[in-house]
Amino acid sequence: MSEERKVSEEILGAFVDGQLAAAEWAEVAALVEADAGLREEVCRLRALKERMRFAYALPARARAPRRAAHPGWAGLAAASVLFAVAGWFGHAEWSRPPLLDSASAYALRGDWHSLRGDWGALEGGRVLVHVSTAGRDSLSGALDEVEDLLREAGRDRRSLEVEIVANGPGLDLFRADDKVFAQRLASLRRDYPALSLVACRQTMERRRARGEPVELAPDVALAPSALHEVVERLRAGWVYVRV
Amino acid sequence: MNLGIENLFGRGPALRREIERERGMLCRMAYAWCHDAALADDLAQMAVEKALRAAGQLRDPDKLKAWMLQILSNCLKDHLRDKRDLVDFESVEETLATGEPTPEEARAGAELVRSVRAAVAALPVGQRQVVTLVDLEECTYAEAGDILEIPVGTVMSRLCRARRALRDALEPVAREALGTRLRSVK
Repeated sequence: MSEERKVSEEILGAFVDGQLAAAEWAEVAALVEADAGLREEVCRLRALKERMRFAYALPARARAPRRAAHPGWAGLAAASVLFAVAGWFGHAEWSRPPLLDSASAYALRGDWHSLRGDWGALEGGRVLVHVSTAGRDSLSGALDEVEDLLREAGRDRRSLEVEIVANGPGLDLFRADDKVFAQRLASLRRDYPALSLVACRQTMERRRARGEPVELAPDVALAPSALHEVVERLRAGWVYVRV
Repeated sequence: MNLGIENLFGRGPALRREIERERGMLCRMAYAWCHDAALADDLAQMAVEKALRAAGQLRDPDKLKAWMLQILSNCLKDHLRDKRDLVDFESVEETLATGEPTPEEARAGAELVRSVRAAVAALPVGQRQVVTLVDLEECTYAEAGDILEIPVGTVMSRLCRARRALRDALEPVAREALGTRLRSVK
């Protein structure tokens, strides 16, 4: 297999780490798209990265000061959702005819930086922001980015639709009892009608089963699951950004 | 460039606070490098102290994190030099295997955490640093190279070797630990 490798392990790693320049990235993306073996490897690399993050999300023991609470089941569920997304990229949908046009190809890289840098290359702006991690900083950071994108699009008179889909610990973004987020979302929705909010029903049900039901802020729609939503949107050519 | 002036007058206290704020991040990274919580704490403390003393040398405030990680890496290097071979895997294994499990660790996922940490601990220190900088702190290859004072090509080859070793060590474990959950999520 190594003899006929089209992409070296190092380059594939750089692809997964978002370290390739746009042209090289597109080249590798095309090869990955066409080759089941490479897709499998991309999937495994992503899964490995998720496992690394999961393994060190806990505070170190002993004298180390305790930091954030243990992610517990919620964290594990989030990790497995991400695994499943990776699995999805790696298997089910990948085996169909190529999904990736130049815009949705960004799904693979999925970070703000590359999205903004290459914004000019995108046709018909539709961006799906997938929020699955906890932490107020990252959640409010995501809202800042969304607001920037929408504002810039408005200023340049570009059409732009943005949907935020939240699951796992990320669902906290949509809690009605979180005054700060609820107000922020309400004002974003008022200023930008092209913004929609979608919560994962499975996460809602899981929390209810744990005795921690969540009341959603107004205007938040429900999807059968975050994964389902992500799959649907990507099929329709949305750009995917994971927070 | 009026960075010098800013340092003396406006930026000093704010920068000191920002340095203090990175302590948790440093501690986590130091732990991922040495897998010894007490040592990680000491290294992070040392790095914070050095950074506070050297704050005037930080030219670009946007590079605070990378700069502090570089200091941390140098602290580890000094420590390793003092102790000669001190990446003492026996004690790492011991902490990993016999440290009393906290209630959190008793839960599902603990096995996965333990196996990942054991596999990371078994990597040569250079590989361990690269893979944790890239995966945990999402450093770019260039940043990782600056922090560890190695060329980008070396970052890439170490990363590649580290991941190959981690995958060999971990893939069977992950299938066991997460296989059923994965299916239930789909």
